[in-house]
Amino acid sequence: MIMPPFTRLRLLAVLGCGLAVGPLSQADETCNSPYMKRLTTQEDFMYIWTLGVSGVGDEQDKLVTVDTLPASKTYGKVLNALSVGGRNEAHHSGYSDDRRTLWAGGLDTSNIFLFDVATDPAQPTLRKTITDFVAKTGGIVGPHSFYALPGRMLITGLSNNQDHGGRTGMAEYTNDGEYITTHWMPTDDNLQGAVKTGQFADGYGYDIRALPRLNVMVSSSFTGWNNYMMDLGKMMADGEAMKRFGNTVTLWDLHTRKPLKVFDVPGAPLEVRCAWNEKHDYCFTTTALTSKIWLIHRDDHGEWHAKDVADIGDPAKIPLPVDISIAADDSRLWVNTFNDGMARLYDITDPHAPKEIYSKHIGEQVNMVSQSWDGKRVYFTSSLLGNWDKKQGPAGDLQYFKAYDWDGKALQEAFAVDFVAEKLGLAHQMTLNARSMYTGKQSPVAPQASTGGSLATTGH
Amino acid sequence: MQICAPWRRRSGGALLTLIAITVMAQATAHEAHRAANAAATDVAPGYLALPYAPPTPGTYALPPIRPAADGAIIDDTGTPRRLHALFDQRITVLSFIYTHCDDANGCPLASFVISQAAADIARVPALAAKVRFVSLSFDPQRDTPALLGRYARPFRKPGVDWVFGTTADEAALTVLLAAYGQDIERDASGGTFSHVLRVYLIDSDARIRNEYTTSFLHSSMLAADIRTLAMAASPAAEVPGSTSLGPGDDKSGYEDAAYVTRSRALTARDAAPADLRATLTELPLGLPRDALNGPLPTDAQIALGRQLFFDRRLSHNDTLACASCHIPDQGYTNNELMTPIGIEGRTVKRNAPSLFNVGLLPELFHDARESRLEQQIWGPLLASNEMGNPSISYVLDELRTLPGYRAQFAAAFPQAPAPSMETLGLALAAYERALVSGDSPFDRWRYGGDAAALPAAARAGYALFTGKAGCSGCHLVGESAALFTDHELHNTGLGYRRSMASPQTLDVLVGPGTRLAVAPGIVAASSETPPSDLGRYEVTLDPADRWRYRTPSLRNVALTAPYMHDGSLRSLDDVIAFYAAGGQPNEGLDPRLKPRRLTAAERTELRAFLDSLTGSNVDILVRDAFAVPIGDRQAD
Repeated sequence: MIMPPFTRLRLLAVLGCGLAVGPLSQADETCNSPYMKRLTTQEDFMYIWTLGVSGVGDEQDKLVTVDTLPASKTYGKVLNALSVGGRNEAHHSGYSDDRRTLWAGGLDTSNIFLFDVATDPAQPTLRKTITDFVAKTGGIVGPHSFYALPGRMLITGLSNNQDHGGRTGMAEYTNDGEYITTHWMPTDDNLQGAVKTGQFADGYGYDIRALPRLNVMVSSSFTGWNNYMMDLGKMMADGEAMKRFGNTVTLWDLHTRKPLKVFDVPGAPLEVRCAWNEKHDYCFTTTALTSKIWLIHRDDHGEWHAKDVADIGDPAKIPLPVDISIAADDSRLWVNTFNDGMARLYDITDPHAPKEIYSKHIGEQVNMVSQSWDGKRVYFTSSLLGNWDKKQGPAGDLQYFKAYDWDGKALQEAFAVDFVAEKLGLAHQMTLNARSMYTGKQSPVAPQASTGGSLATTGH
Repeated sequence: MQICAPWRRRSGGALLTLIAITVMAQATAHEAHRAANAAATDVAPGYLALPYAPPTPGTYALPPIRPAADGAIIDDTGTPRRLHALFDQRITVLSFIYTHCDDANGCPLASFVISQAAADIARVPALAAKVRFVSLSFDPQRDTPALLGRYARPFRKPGVDWVFGTTADEAALTVLLAAYGQDIERDASGGTFSHVLRVYLIDSDARIRNEYTTSFLHSSMLAADIRTLAMAASPAAEVPGSTSLGPGDDKSGYEDAAYVTRSRALTARDAAPADLRATLTELPLGLPRDALNGPLPTDAQIALGRQLFFDRRLSHNDTLACASCHIPDQGYTNNELMTPIGIEGRTVKRNAPSLFNVGLLPELFHDARESRLEQQIWGPLLASNEMGNPSISYVLDELRTLPGYRAQFAAAFPQAPAPSMETLGLALAAYERALVSGDSPFDRWRYGGDAAALPAAARAGYALFTGKAGCSGCHLVGESAALFTDHELHNTGLGYRRSMASPQTLDVLVGPGTRLAVAPGIVAASSETPPSDLGRYEVTLDPADRWRYRTPSLRNVALTAPYMHDGSLRSLDDVIAFYAAGGQPNEGLDPRLKPRRLTAAERTELRAFLDSLTGSNVDILVRDAFAVPIGDRQAD
């Protein structure tokens, strides 16, 4: 659209006057959906979705709240633990776009728990439990990623109720927890218009992230119930089972939710993290079995490609790369390797040539990593899957939540919570929150007294 | 999340915004042009040219999200209206705004984008006639109808049907906002609202079909969605049904780097209920008559058993059905693992036996510990490492409460309609018993007198099977029928080998054609101790029975990989090689096992013979299985 200079001036004047019209595509944790309300203050709390395990406390899955505000008297302490009842194979969680609800899922029972985190962020409550996810979605088993879209949640699956194998789909739900529709992963006999760029179109799924400015989503592929619920040693000794891992990354049209391209990314690509700079048209993923960093990128002609760009550790030792976290300025990538308990930092200023520049042993095993927007605080948890986790290790190092300060050179431990000693369970997905996200009651009926929270939230 | 600065802090601001928007709305959009880079990150995408092509209308679906609520509003002429009446069975674009907002990425953005989309739609009068734009204020105190009327004037273009409205009071507004999930918060002074900007696309049945927030809101996308709704919905492309056998993502050739997937859609199942009872009364060619191991079931009993077989709610936590380990299109076993896992992933140490012709077996399980199908079911139902139910009553009580089963039990067992230990067993056994399969190419050649039915290689293989290879010593072939089993238990040495093995370096496929040697210690910390397995000894406690396992039937053996009691032999070629070597020597080795010198060509012929044992009705049984809805947990 050509704008006459007069109008352009007016537009800039308007924009300049507006209060805190900030970057639209940012969010606090760099893994968050760009549609989410943004956290701009220091985080007050970390919620940790935790698996119940036999012999530890009440043995139930639970949402644990830990105080992360350094000035607080209870800094580093568990504030509360909300047991949801049952062992569901608690795995991942994610906020709705208005950040009022935290959705958390179980890979075994496929139950989904909706937590109200707005009314009292220090004390989440269980608002609703979805027990019919498999029935409603047409057979998806294992809700994995909970990703906010406008007014909705996109939920990726891992498996299906026909054969508990790796073929699966993803579902959309309203923010209130009502089912909308299912999108099946593309298969050879039903690519749904997608281009199969190589040898593989297995129909498997895992994680998904969106790049709204390019109208795309990128999904990865893991394995089905038969494998992710299986004892790790039993599985690795089973030649047939080891063939049942995903080897694909799929590119989707964000608006229409239709698959566009299927790439060959062999060895089980797991978490997907997209760059934030609007000129960086790429996302990263890592492969768990083949231990590589892969770059999913768009070239100057608008075509997307997948390319392996680095090894992680020594692939021959099965370090098992798991969670990754990209820096807000796209210059660094944390990559955790489960089996050796290492956190590794890569310089990704050249995304085509990542270089490992730092590593630290975090615990007997390590899975998730979450960082504050400015990268100065980095948090880790230990658990991957109930039957894949190590059974023995030094006290405090087996199942934990650990907080570190990062000064650009080294990680310094700030505090640690031993999830076994605290009788909690297997610590998994972390999500940050703060009181400043919620400034008052929802109803506009009466003006509220100021809570002191910042109104400096931004458009998204 | 938008902030709209309070009116009193920006007395000219709102008007400035209005002018800016008006001018922008009037500007034509023929050329793509990006705003200055410095402001680019601060400008909502809705103000800029779309950096990608919008989707072609009609090529995608907009599934209904939820009903669009009705409510009482007052339009900008001061007339009370009902929202649904305002929707008037058109396509409606609904937004919530307030006139004092001057956050450019807030309400003005919505108005701008909608005005652009409206202008686009107005170029096609027939389409525009089906569309109405509605903007409601969530500031009824300040946004009077009169003020809204003035605000609306620049947006009222020819061909654009755009209604502005407000509510009578805060109470009416609150109800409406809650219904649309439009959360807003007022600041301390009461002048500023913060809210998530939401625009709704509503169809002619008052259902919300899409929802837009700032990053998602663009006139090109909105116009494409409006056009998509206006087009008659085209039926989703049908995926052709398939009864391909084997796992839905075929992994054969995975050991090779040249492996190519041949995956099938989960929705591509060719379903067709069959008359299973008819197959039982008229047994397929080659099956022994009078060998049914229980009563001939009725249609109603088979139907009930079939429904139960596919019901995941029969396990303690609703995750496993019988069909989870005995998968119809995977030979009624599981082709994707050596031994299954049960509830919460607990290890099961033996391969799931195929259920083909299980109704003709006098002994069940690999260790023959059960003789009646009706009784066998309680093993898996109660085993803590399988379906994990805490007691018999627990299972029966569950069946009494699940809707639909009451009527089915009554129909199947009119003399004893309440589910009981006995009737549950009879029902499941009824379905399993109906899974008879015969009339294979071998049967037609041997028992049907059709000399051409069996290819030469398979005929040669049969000669080896009953001759030099010695297989028929245990896998019996009768004069008028064959089940290929002597129903006895033998020590082949496979179990012995496992018991005596030391941890090995594993040869692991980490991707197609990519192997890694994994030292046993690498995942030791994550691994349980593998369970021991002494076979029949665990039943009789007779040392002579160590590592003895039941001779399985070989019917449909081509469909039931992997093989042996522990699934440790992946292919029939591996099985032939094992027996050609004479099994695994050990003290109790069955004397019938001895090394057989078989050439490569002879092994191929044996293989061809085994492949010829697949019954002609497998497709029918599988299509019938596909027609059963899988039982899953419903909403509480």
